[in-house]
Amino acid sequence: MTLQTKPSSAAMPGYAASVRQQFADTMLAVGQRDPKLVVIVGDISHGILQPFAAACPGRFFNIGILEPTMMGIAAGVARSGLLPVVHTIAPFLIDRSFEQIKLDFCYHRLHGNIVSVGSAFDYANLGCTHHCYGDIAMLKTLDRMQIVYPGSSVEFDTLFRQAYANEWVTYYRVPAKQHGLDIAPGDIKLGRALRVASGSNLTLISTGPQLRTVMAARERLAAEGWDADVLHIHTIRPLDVEAVRESAARTKAVVVVEEHMRSGGLGDDVLRAIYDVPGLRFASLAIPDHFVTGYGTYEDHCQSCGLTPDGVVEAVRAFGL
Amino acid sequence: MNEVVQMPVLNKDLRRKIVDMVTHGGDGHIPSAFSILDLVTYLYDNVLDVDPNNPSWPERDYFILSKGHGCLALYVNLWRKGFITDRDIATFCRKGGILGEHPDMTKVPGVEASTGSLGHGLGFAVGIALGLRIQRRDNRLFVLLGDGECHEGTVWEAAHVAANYRFGRLCAIVDWNQSGMQLLPHEDLPAKWRAFGWRTLEIDGHDPAAMAAAYDSIPFVPDDVPTVIVAHTTKGKGVKMIEGHGRWHHRIPNAEEYQAIMAALQ
Repeated sequence: MTLQTKPSSAAMPGYAASVRQQFADTMLAVGQRDPKLVVIVGDISHGILQPFAAACPGRFFNIGILEPTMMGIAAGVARSGLLPVVHTIAPFLIDRSFEQIKLDFCYHRLHGNIVSVGSAFDYANLGCTHHCYGDIAMLKTLDRMQIVYPGSSVEFDTLFRQAYANEWVTYYRVPAKQHGLDIAPGDIKLGRALRVASGSNLTLISTGPQLRTVMAARERLAAEGWDADVLHIHTIRPLDVEAVRESAARTKAVVVVEEHMRSGGLGDDVLRAIYDVPGLRFASLAIPDHFVTGYGTYEDHCQSCGLTPDGVVEAVRAFGL
Repeated sequence: MNEVVQMPVLNKDLRRKIVDMVTHGGDGHIPSAFSILDLVTYLYDNVLDVDPNNPSWPERDYFILSKGHGCLALYVNLWRKGFITDRDIATFCRKGGILGEHPDMTKVPGVEASTGSLGHGLGFAVGIALGLRIQRRDNRLFVLLGDGECHEGTVWEAAHVAANYRFGRLCAIVDWNQSGMQLLPHEDLPAKWRAFGWRTLEIDGHDPAAMAAAYDSIPFVPDDVPTVIVAHTTKGKGVKMIEGHGRWHHRIPNAEEYQAIMAALQ
């Protein structure tokens, strides 16, 4: 099935203009319905979460600047039978608190929801202390982790509602930018790839906001004879291996575009899923495996890492038609 | 530091059981278990409201052994209270058994947290306390930590939160056997807990009368400061040859040593 999508410069009706605001809106909506939802933050997003705090008294905690213990506390809240959501900036939420995620949540076989902002280089000018390119790679080493990387408000809202009360620990990587394509919530299913466009001789795979890059590249490549299948992966774990293999087997040419370190990112998982496709050509466009030390905007960082339509076009041209 | 009155060794039978488990299993931390055995045994006999027939009883007291390497002291008490079986004890550290060198919540009835990596237990307990408060439940929580563990920053993060949130049903017990003296001495450990806003008691961790007085003095009021019992203990307590911080930390007795330890525990 090909989705009926269209570029959109504004938010979809009923959804927030930023995924971060959508996070707050979704907490409010779900929290009013589910008395088990508890939101714990580490001195971030507390302003936008005040409606949740007011509507769900006694279930919002701005716990302090002590991320590992915040994670341990959230796991304890899960142990008591409730549904915790724990939230702060990705490097502190994941890098700093990794052992608490690993042991207090995963080893204990507890459920929970970990929602970041500021992954990759979303906080571009704050420098590498506030960047986080390896979060997905780290979390993939943990048993019982689901990894969700929405590229829009509707994806976050839909996937959170599908996952938040299940038995897994779910990481939601909330991006600063949206990809800008309208996707109907009914087309979004946890663990299933979205076929945004159908094609026959090229597979372009995106996650997070990079769907925008992939769609722009698809249009330019069409003029050069490439007919690209576009798969948008909002659930990195569990990966929809079947959809990826089906497309790769037909096109035998695959490019993965993501705002994550090359090592351990979606590209690695896709390649593992399709390495045995005869005649496969494969390229991974990702953040290089080193610190991004320059300053500038988010777009500048995308440019420097080759996460652009030009980057995708170049990679595909190298395949040869 | 106050002078600690040395009391007669308690619980020789459980100490012998621990030595048997370690010798048979080929692994384990005997001195760490001996350090806390009297504290843990007193808790299970006189303080904790738990049900071996229903370990997940919603009204139970929670006990978290944050210094997981002392788990032999926990295992023998879970065994004598009926949470685990003779077979479980006999298969300590053996293939197919449920008891390892650190306790596993998902395997062992009565274990509330899988500990081993230090500095996790108190934060986890604070989270349980928070969740219980949201549900308007007032279970008590007890967390046993080591003084070496108190080097971990997360202990103090959790201590800070617990005091500010006034979890008066939470009680920490610190096994102050001076492990920290080897590295970073805590010159006045009780003063540190007091500075973090905890009601701080200081006792001999091998003296049941002192434990009784301490627990009797804790109000356990839900909206109150939490309490810490800083317990002066001796690592390896009960057998002179293994006391202290030397090679016995993780040593398995050979045949000759086994006989000597058992003789000392008669």
